[in-house]
Amino acid sequence: MAMILEKLPGLTKGLPGGELLLTTSDYFIDLGRKQSMWPMTFGLACCAIEMMASYASRLDFDRMGVIPRASPRQADVMIVAGTVCKKMAEPILEIYHQMPEPRFVISMGSCANCGGPYYDSYSVLKGVDRIVPVDVYIAGCPPRPEALQYAVVKLQEKIAKMTLKKGLATPQQEKGSRDINA
Amino acid sequence: MTNDELFAKISAKFPKIDKAAVPVKDYLTVRLATTSDLVPFSQWLKDNAFDMLETVTATDLLGPVDMKGYISQMNFNPFLPEGATPQIVAAATTGYPYKPAIDLLYIFYSVDLRARVFLRLEIAREGVSVPSLVPLFKSADWQERETFDLLGVRFDGHPNLIKILTPDFTVGHPLRKDYVHIKDRFDE
Repeated sequence: MAMILEKLPGLTKGLPGGELLLTTSDYFIDLGRKQSMWPMTFGLACCAIEMMASYASRLDFDRMGVIPRASPRQADVMIVAGTVCKKMAEPILEIYHQMPEPRFVISMGSCANCGGPYYDSYSVLKGVDRIVPVDVYIAGCPPRPEALQYAVVKLQEKIAKMTLKKGLATPQQEKGSRDINA
Repeated sequence: MTNDELFAKISAKFPKIDKAAVPVKDYLTVRLATTSDLVPFSQWLKDNAFDMLETVTATDLLGPVDMKGYISQMNFNPFLPEGATPQIVAAATTGYPYKPAIDLLYIFYSVDLRARVFLRLEIAREGVSVPSLVPLFKSADWQERETFDLLGVRFDGHPNLIKILTPDFTVGHPLRKDYVHIKDRFDE
């Protein structure tokens, strides 16, 4: 028998010694997952400057557990910051598949959302959601660092709703990435 | 060395080379008549202290561009009040000498003289190739590949004239004025 303590942190003091904490596995797994989202450093264009500003000391992404990783093997979330050229589409897909599951994608800025000012261009992919499933879109050209941090908060809310019963994939991930060679 | 002294030196050796009608900023801008002059002139420049090729690029002079397939209302103004007529912007290129030609531009720099020579060369759009400057200047390699990729200028004697910027599935040369985009697998 288990007590659900996720909404009553004060009760833990009442337990013997305060050393035992009972909770649901879903809450515990999601807690760890959402408080340590490690994004891949993946700047494609000018949005990357705003992304760097979010990591810097004024806005301090570290306090949310967001620590940039240089390898897709260690990353949970891919922040697609900038214009996705068609030539870059295949490397993005490869990097996406190299990330361990569950993996999340934040599409940052107009270009990554829908092509932005280059929607009539011969060389730009009209939205990164054409090749990988996107969890959170950020509007703006470029979005302010605060907007990126808000997107991370939104993604945390989304992760908090994930349950083992339904499987670990978010609805977007069940859709899977697109097979561009099909 | 002033521009006039430099041009006097050039015209003593190459009497056929003229000054371009419109110079680029204050630099000496010369125009070649034929492609066969390009290699001897570049060789002469290289022997006369112009030891660096800064830029190889080109412009397609065909025009005006057919706007079919592009945005229908280029200057759409969402803040215009209801019923107001939009301001008509005069065509900026009125009177521009459109012609079916490609204008090549080479920029040579001399580290010793601190001078630049701009070299213009007009070629036909189809079926003409230009001698490559890679044997003389190594820096011409990627820039000639870029000019080939985006404008379709063929360079004779280039060791590796393949695409450099556009992906393999792009058909045609995108910076040509008559380029029509063919939908690829990312356009759906």
